[in-house]
Amino acid sequence: MSDLHPLHCQTRRHFFADCGVGVGKLALASLLARGAAGSATPIAGNPLAPQPTHFGPKAKSVIYLFMAGAPSQLDLFDNKPTLAKYEGQMVPPELVKDQRYAFIRPESTLLGPRFKFNRYGKSGAELSEMLPHLGEVADDIAIVRSMFTDQFNHAPAQLFLNTGSPLPGRPSMGSWVTYGLGSEADDLPAFVVLATGTGSSGGAANWSNGFLPGVHAGVPFRSSGDPILFTSNPPGIDRQAQRDTIDIVGELNAQQLGAIGDPQIATRIAAYETAFKMQARAPELVELASESPETLAMYGVEPGKPSFAANCLLARRMIERGVRFVNVYHGNWDHHSDVAGGLKTECEVTDRASAALVKDLKQRGLLDETLVVWGGEFGRTPMVESSAALGRSLGRDHHPQAFSIWLAGGGIKPGITLGETDDLGFSITRDPVHVHDLQATLLHLLGLDHERLTYTYQGRQFRLTDVHGKLVTPLLA
Amino acid sequence: MFESLVTAVANPQRIGASCALATALLVTSGISRGEPAANVGYREAVRPILAANCFKCHGPDAQTRAADLRLDEAESATADRSGYHAILPGNAAESEVVKRILSDDPSVQMPPPDSKKTLSAEQKEILQAWITAGAKYERHWAFVPPQRPTTPNVQRPDWVRNEIDAYVLAELERRNLTPSPEADRRTLIRRLSLDLVGLPPTPERVAAFVLDNRPDAYERLVDELLASPHYGERWARRWLDLARYSDTNGYEKDRPRAMWPYRDWVIDALNADLPFDRFTIEQLAGDMLPNATRSQRLATGFHRNTMVNEEGGIDPQEFRFKAVVDRVATTGAVWLGMTLGCAQCHTHKFDPISHQEYYQVFAFLNNEDDVDELITTPEITAKRVELQAQIDALVAKLPERYPFEKRPVGEATAEPTAADRAQALDTDFEQWLEATSVELSRWRRAAPVAMSTNLALLEVLPDQSVLASGDVTKNDKYQLEFELPGATLHALRLEALTHESLPQGGPGRQTVEVPNASGEGDFFLSELYVEVVSDNPADARVIRTAKIARGAVSYVGPGLSAESAFDGKGDSGWRVLNREGESHVGVFALAEPITLGPGERLRIRLEHESFYAAGLGRFRVSFAEAPLPSELSTPPVISDELAAVLAKPAAGRTAAETEELRRKYLLTTPKLVKEREPIDALQKQLPGPVVALITRERPTHPRETHRFHRGEYLQPKEVVTPGVPSVLPPLPSTEKPTRLDFARWLVDPKHPLTARVTVNRQWQAFFGAGIVRTLEDFGLQGESPTHPELLDFLATEFVSQGWSLKKLHRLIVTSATYRQSSTVTPGLLAADPENRYLARGARFRVEAELVRDIVLASSGLLSPQIGGPSVFPDQPPGVTEGAYGPLEWKVSTGADRYRRGLYSFNKRTAPYAAFGLFDAPSGEACVARRNNSNTPLQSLAVLNDEVTMAAARKLAQQAWKAGETQPERITNAMYEHVLSRPPTTGEFAALARYQQRQLNRLEQGELDATALLQLAPDEAAQADATALTERRALASWTLAARAILNLDETITRQ
Repeated sequence: MSDLHPLHCQTRRHFFADCGVGVGKLALASLLARGAAGSATPIAGNPLAPQPTHFGPKAKSVIYLFMAGAPSQLDLFDNKPTLAKYEGQMVPPELVKDQRYAFIRPESTLLGPRFKFNRYGKSGAELSEMLPHLGEVADDIAIVRSMFTDQFNHAPAQLFLNTGSPLPGRPSMGSWVTYGLGSEADDLPAFVVLATGTGSSGGAANWSNGFLPGVHAGVPFRSSGDPILFTSNPPGIDRQAQRDTIDIVGELNAQQLGAIGDPQIATRIAAYETAFKMQARAPELVELASESPETLAMYGVEPGKPSFAANCLLARRMIERGVRFVNVYHGNWDHHSDVAGGLKTECEVTDRASAALVKDLKQRGLLDETLVVWGGEFGRTPMVESSAALGRSLGRDHHPQAFSIWLAGGGIKPGITLGETDDLGFSITRDPVHVHDLQATLLHLLGLDHERLTYTYQGRQFRLTDVHGKLVTPLLA
Repeated sequence: MFESLVTAVANPQRIGASCALATALLVTSGISRGEPAANVGYREAVRPILAANCFKCHGPDAQTRAADLRLDEAESATADRSGYHAILPGNAAESEVVKRILSDDPSVQMPPPDSKKTLSAEQKEILQAWITAGAKYERHWAFVPPQRPTTPNVQRPDWVRNEIDAYVLAELERRNLTPSPEADRRTLIRRLSLDLVGLPPTPERVAAFVLDNRPDAYERLVDELLASPHYGERWARRWLDLARYSDTNGYEKDRPRAMWPYRDWVIDALNADLPFDRFTIEQLAGDMLPNATRSQRLATGFHRNTMVNEEGGIDPQEFRFKAVVDRVATTGAVWLGMTLGCAQCHTHKFDPISHQEYYQVFAFLNNEDDVDELITTPEITAKRVELQAQIDALVAKLPERYPFEKRPVGEATAEPTAADRAQALDTDFEQWLEATSVELSRWRRAAPVAMSTNLALLEVLPDQSVLASGDVTKNDKYQLEFELPGATLHALRLEALTHESLPQGGPGRQTVEVPNASGEGDFFLSELYVEVVSDNPADARVIRTAKIARGAVSYVGPGLSAESAFDGKGDSGWRVLNREGESHVGVFALAEPITLGPGERLRIRLEHESFYAAGLGRFRVSFAEAPLPSELSTPPVISDELAAVLAKPAAGRTAAETEELRRKYLLTTPKLVKEREPIDALQKQLPGPVVALITRERPTHPRETHRFHRGEYLQPKEVVTPGVPSVLPPLPSTEKPTRLDFARWLVDPKHPLTARVTVNRQWQAFFGAGIVRTLEDFGLQGESPTHPELLDFLATEFVSQGWSLKKLHRLIVTSATYRQSSTVTPGLLAADPENRYLARGARFRVEAELVRDIVLASSGLLSPQIGGPSVFPDQPPGVTEGAYGPLEWKVSTGADRYRRGLYSFNKRTAPYAAFGLFDAPSGEACVARRNNSNTPLQSLAVLNDEVTMAAARKLAQQAWKAGETQPERITNAMYEHVLSRPPTTGEFAALARYQQRQLNRLEQGELDATALLQLAPDEAAQADATALTERRALASWTLAARAILNLDETITRQ
């Protein structure tokens, strides 16, 4: 509370003195009590107050690095020497019988891995040469090579991964998590979205609160202009004038509260106070120059320059400040053509920072309570995509049957690789993990039972995992 | 980050909802411990417990039913199950159900432990009491048609203004509650104005109303507001939430669409008080009404609000299926208040809607085509006329620039004269006429005698061209057979022709854009085959195939050639990208001529394999019975009219006809390509009509509807015919019921749901919550009505008043219930925290769009214009630009910058940011009930959005410019504009202190008036002492105005 202007405190006393009798006063007192005590004691009426979990949580917060567009697992995580051997040959027809693809015909030729793979760490995790930095933290992460999804177009698949449904309108993971756990930050949103690259196909529905109360919506942080929309004062208004304005608005609202007694007015007064704090907090949060040169170098961040690396560092700063769920989107992975060139570019942009995030969290003792996930919405085909009409060659099409992700921290068993696919990387042969299973596991690590975290809407108890999902126990530490 | 205290306190959600639910049940059913068992009501108390805990395995869905036991029907529940009964009416102890719910043994316990459902002690008591009392099942109230109830007697009849009050008061009296006093007139007029037209009243209107002492002053005000053209705007926005209205297609690409003609239809219909039954029929089936008008067709845009996925990888039929799924769900939510969508994948777990019945409803909505209604507005016509005049002027000058290449030796340096050019033109023109005539005369048109496709519908038009319509695939295949007995064919010509039914006029059917190009109206002819087949349909053999050796096209898109259409490769083809909207011609010469023997037909197969559905939209085939020249020239594109002119002998043409030919030559000759560039540029600017989206019943080839196993598109099962759920009244007997019959059935006066659902939704607008709180669910899981008789009174009254929404609104707002003060006393809050029983008026934050409207209207910035294309109000950069399908947000200028919120352009994947913060929907799904949150991000938006500052400046300027220097009067004026009341002494004192403090800071140079007032540099430069003083005063009042605009009361109707 140290950033409060003396006038503000005076005003607060003024509220208690002047705002009349009745519920309004009581409600206001209870709302403000939290701030005054400087504690995070839960109070009635704050939907973001910390909530009890279903059982002991491993993770307190989540950083989900969402690789929109779907990176090729066959060139990054899931090495297939056999695929290299049969490169240029037709895919066996029995494999592609009844399969549908977005662009290619099922009967296409195979395309071998574009990169060499190496083994890293004590665990001997196999990773592509495109991911040398991730290799350095190989013993801290769990690789899942057996993810699969129901959707094979970008927007529905992204929505499916984020909300459990391919159609817009359902709450996203971050919304469910803040609904289930509340927030530890009262001067920042509980659920934040960061993005670089082409934007995500699913759009704002990817971080929508759906039918949950609006306070659970993901709040996009912007890399230019205000970090949060409307956080800078209008031209001509300095911080003092803003403080004065919030005080007068609060004072007038308090008079109205005294007269009308509607507790909503107290909520509004508190919202203006929080807004003012956010106005200070958000710019401070994005001030990356305050980080040490070593940290900046580890991520590859140039302060003042928006990048995926900067977003990873921001995510850590948010977690430190009590933000519950950070979604970091990076959106250039849709490599229908020249998958090798595309991956090279994107890995240069993402590999160092993704690994740095794990290292940094670990160094700070935050990795144990922070779950980090890295992955896209589906995988890419073992078959080549090429097309004269679209000018495409040596690409890979969408492949929902198998893809790879990695997870770290927050109760994830480190140094393991889960799941296998067949020799061509076409189908999963061991330990399949459906999108709903991943969601169930994510909630579990946060202390939430995916079958009990429900919200009744339209006469039905909705869940993130719909009526599916099972815990992926081999991933648990 | 706080939200609403009230909603949070009352929120029975979050983890472990069941105990809160039980409490709610006890409240609604009036049951508590110790009450006589006979009072236990099935509908209110028992069924919700069974539904939530038992029906999943012992309910309507046969697929998941266990032990062949249904607890939702008396027959199964009470059947003799060889010696025992699940439920033995009158004997709880002998009922298996009771034994099991009381058991501790996990192997017999119900609900079973793995269901993670548990019954509370109260719930167990309720079930036992009900069985003891005879286990009487009752039909769910919402499926029984409403009956006009008898108006209840009350102890205070003087309080009753109309029937509504009798029902409300009777309930209050039962609960020992007293209504609140009537609100004061200023509160009432602001409340009425915001509720009925969504705008605050002007200070003048407030003053007049306060002084109006006629006994019917209030009713006069109501009638005035109901007659306002802004009434339709306010109520349209609410309807548009249900209609999932938006200005873009949704999903990844999310391109703009012209949905606003539909939005304007809604505004007009509501302003005209189009009876709700007709309002319904026109939106669901306006196209099927006899002699449907344009307005009725535009109404069918309702179901065109579904999203369109334009990702390259989609299957268009799968997404059409998904659109119909959305239409069924929306129709269910809007008219039936039911979650029909739950039965898409399996029989509804809670409501009596079977999987089969879902697809019966689906079938009604599955036989329409998504088509366009082209609207040419006067503005478009005027612009076209203007541009056409410029084009004509430029065309008239082309002859002056006609190239003249040959000059006699010795005169090489001299410029060609006009006569030289004219002569060159005449010569070339004559040659062109000759060559074109020869080319055209080569071809013999033929109409196919048989046609088939893999999905599209083909019809032969009178000019022998073929028009495609209906559904598309990503490889549309057309087969056409021609009877050409004895002919020897050397070549064929394929004309790709425009048609008004096609996207951008065609000639193709592609509706999806190609990166960095349009693509709309393009086609992709990947392969063209010529074969000889038998005319005997039983003989499927291909007798001979003809190879195409050479080809030429009038135009082909980048990177491709005429050969692409016959190179045997599926990934290359003939397309006309970047030249859509024009006709094109291709000619294809056979390697060897082909002669058709007796009993033989020529078959042409067109394949359109592409990443998008890209079939030809309209085309015509002709044949050449003589060899083509060895060098193929670019084939000319000549309309039939012009061809007829050309066919005449030169002497027989009128001057105008000759001129037309000359014009064609000038506009197509390669010799003037450069000279025509300005003309081409103008042509591209010619505005097309507004393409409004509507639906049209398929005239022929009705689609079959199947039941889809698990709701999955790839698992169609048996064919299903249209029908309605059996729990609802039957359709009038018709042999083949249509979508129109379905729409009429929805608004049958005897329908149990439509009127109730509709009046409930209207009630919510005035009281913040419905009589049934779950506006979207009147099914078994929905909340019971707080005032069942009032609901039925309103529903029957609505129907008997001719489904008039205005009459219904009038009835509601003229009630004493509505006119109560909304002041919350501790006693009221304790007795009824959510105000379910209405012992006080409702008080709630206005909807997102109205936040904007209030700020604009009260400051005088608002443009009152109604309707038209959506506009782009101020919004910080980056909101829509960063989307996957980016949209440059060019802020509208002039009056359009300050239009009502309803008109703000909404992009689904990146919605208008300020509205999203205030719980406005994105338009991606039907929303029956918006959240009403109260968050810090809202505070930031009102504090710092540019529109608040603009309004504050205007508000202060007006109050101050009126020559006022007295703080009281300035403050009064601003309060009157924004809040329709003067400030209290305390409010004035506080605000004046604030203003004075800001003024001091301005005078001390700590704040900058120039920046606050956004003065232009030349204005700012005038800095004499008076100007400076005035400027600072105005700036300080601007800050005060901003504070007023930020008050809770400003964005609240109370």
